[in-house]
Amino acid sequence: MLHITNLHKSFGDKDVLRGLNLSVPEHSIYGFIGKNGSGKTTTMKTVLGLLKSDAGEIKVNGESVCYGQTATNRYIGYLPDVPEFYPFMTAPEYLTFCGEVTGMRKSDIAKRSEELLTLVGLADEKHRIRGFSRGMKQRLGIAQALFNRPKLLICDEPTSALDPIGRKEILDILLAIRDETTVLFSTHILSDVERICTDVAFLTGGVVRVCGKLSDIKSKYRSEGYILEAENVEDMLKLLQAFPDIKQIGGNQLVFRENGVTVFDVLHFLTDKHIRLLKLERIEPTLESLFMEVTEE
Amino acid sequence: MKSLLAFTKKEITSQLRSVRLIILGILFVLLGVMNTAIAKLTPLLLDAVSDTISQSGISITPVTVSALDSWMQFFKNIPLGLIVFILLESDIFTREYRSGTLIPPLTKGLARHNVVISKAVVLTTLWTLCYWLCFVITYCCNAYFWDNSVAQNLMFSVVCWWLFGLWVTVSAVFFSTVAKSNIIVLAGVGCSILALYLLSFIPELKAYLPIMLTDGNSLISGIEKAKTYNSAIIITGVLTIAYLAVSFPVFNKRNL
Ligand SMILES: Nc1ncnc2c1ncn2[C@@H]1O[C@H](COP(=O)(O)OP(=O)(O)O)[C@@H](O)[C@H]1O
Ligand SMILES: [Mg+2]
Repeated sequence: MLHITNLHKSFGDKDVLRGLNLSVPEHSIYGFIGKNGSGKTTTMKTVLGLLKSDAGEIKVNGESVCYGQTATNRYIGYLPDVPEFYPFMTAPEYLTFCGEVTGMRKSDIAKRSEELLTLVGLADEKHRIRGFSRGMKQRLGIAQALFNRPKLLICDEPTSALDPIGRKEILDILLAIRDETTVLFSTHILSDVERICTDVAFLTGGVVRVCGKLSDIKSKYRSEGYILEAENVEDMLKLLQAFPDIKQIGGNQLVFRENGVTVFDVLHFLTDKHIRLLKLERIEPTLESLFMEVTEE
Repeated sequence: MKSLLAFTKKEITSQLRSVRLIILGILFVLLGVMNTAIAKLTPLLLDAVSDTISQSGISITPVTVSALDSWMQFFKNIPLGLIVFILLESDIFTREYRSGTLIPPLTKGLARHNVVISKAVVLTTLWTLCYWLCFVITYCCNAYFWDNSVAQNLMFSVVCWWLFGLWVTVSAVFFSTVAKSNIIVLAGVGCSILALYLLSFIPELKAYLPIMLTDGNSLISGIEKAKTYNSAIIITGVLTIAYLAVSFPVFNKRNL
């Protein structure tokens, strides 16, 4: 659905994107993860032709994106990070405006407005947008982004500024529409990603470090880590001496990854030396530990 | 075309639902009435003052006023109308940059030139409506008391001033496509007028500058002939079109 190859962008002497590659498959909910200031918004705005890239190619639905007059935007629905709409309009008026701008027929506009307002829970809202809360604007933002049934929905941190209930509402909406559209959303809230994403990419240092199916990534990292706890200090020291890759993490607890040493080497050693363990546990990698690891490199 | 109409409709709604339109309406009606009122009241005021002054030995010959005095007031007061108009409308683009309200329609396929067209059309129409509202009111009030025909070239001089205002309005559109904030828009418009004003002190240039069009008093009192304004009219027209023409590519290249 969306392919970005070797995207570069700098502001003045600040290189924000340094050869970013990203490929979003159809019908995925793609989590685009990165710290504040890592360039998520910049990437999205470039995809929408709102910013000019310095180098690189972006293809949406097989068509190249060009800056300024961006024809590929007809495939895309976009929810900006701080969505703002004309304050003097009501929500239905705003959606009608969106429909008219895209050139839809009057009857279609009325039907679609009603559908979407119900989906995002603004059907009974009669007030002007001026008085909307952040969460209401966010929901109206999703409604307007979905208006012309986009193939790709791009949401820039849709949940970051919301309270837990508001976040859940937004995530539920995103889940509800996944059959119709591909979703790319940026965030730094990892629990949201775990809740709804099928794919993820970590953006750090201007490039995508790790990306792929969420389940693949998790299982790949899961196989690697173990925590073990020895009965006493002597046993622990023996293990530390024998395996330089093992690290102590406090008390008699040790941790190792299966890249230098395998779990079987350790088990052999334990049986040879008749060392008993209190605990041997495979580490469930959280996205958080993964995120830390990726961003700290 | 549909999207241009939709965006223009939105611009009009934005004007209709804001307090700006009310302020402009009141201001231009007030200006229109005041032009006549000031002219009408001048002799009464002088009368009142002359009573006290005559006791001190100075006598004032009673003045008679005509529609000409009222039209002179018109050209003296209309700049205030234009200034308030520009002050109130200078953020027509920049408030959208600041809040990011242009992003959704633009990412929905609204062509950028339609934004400039809509806003330019709405602004120039609004200026035209305000200006002629003021004119019609003054004209009617004058006709009630005096005879408007004493003012020579009246229509011509009024159209000249309207054209000047049109140019200033379009220059605000142009500076809006360049600037980030409405302060910069105001500075741009202010500086270009100031520059012209200073240039108009060079006698050889004066007849070619848009500033010339604001000198309606010389026209209605018959000091200047209409044809001396021709070069200024052509140049102002060309400048207006040029400002507008440059606005499109500049706005297309803008990072939003
Ligand atoms: N218009 C701009 N001018 C200069 N620097 C910018 C601009 N926009 C973004 N940046 C810089 O680019 C970096 C990435 O910003 P952004 O894409 O907004 O990050 P994110 O959305 O991931 O938090 C930030 O360090 C920011 O300061
Ligand atoms: Mg951001």
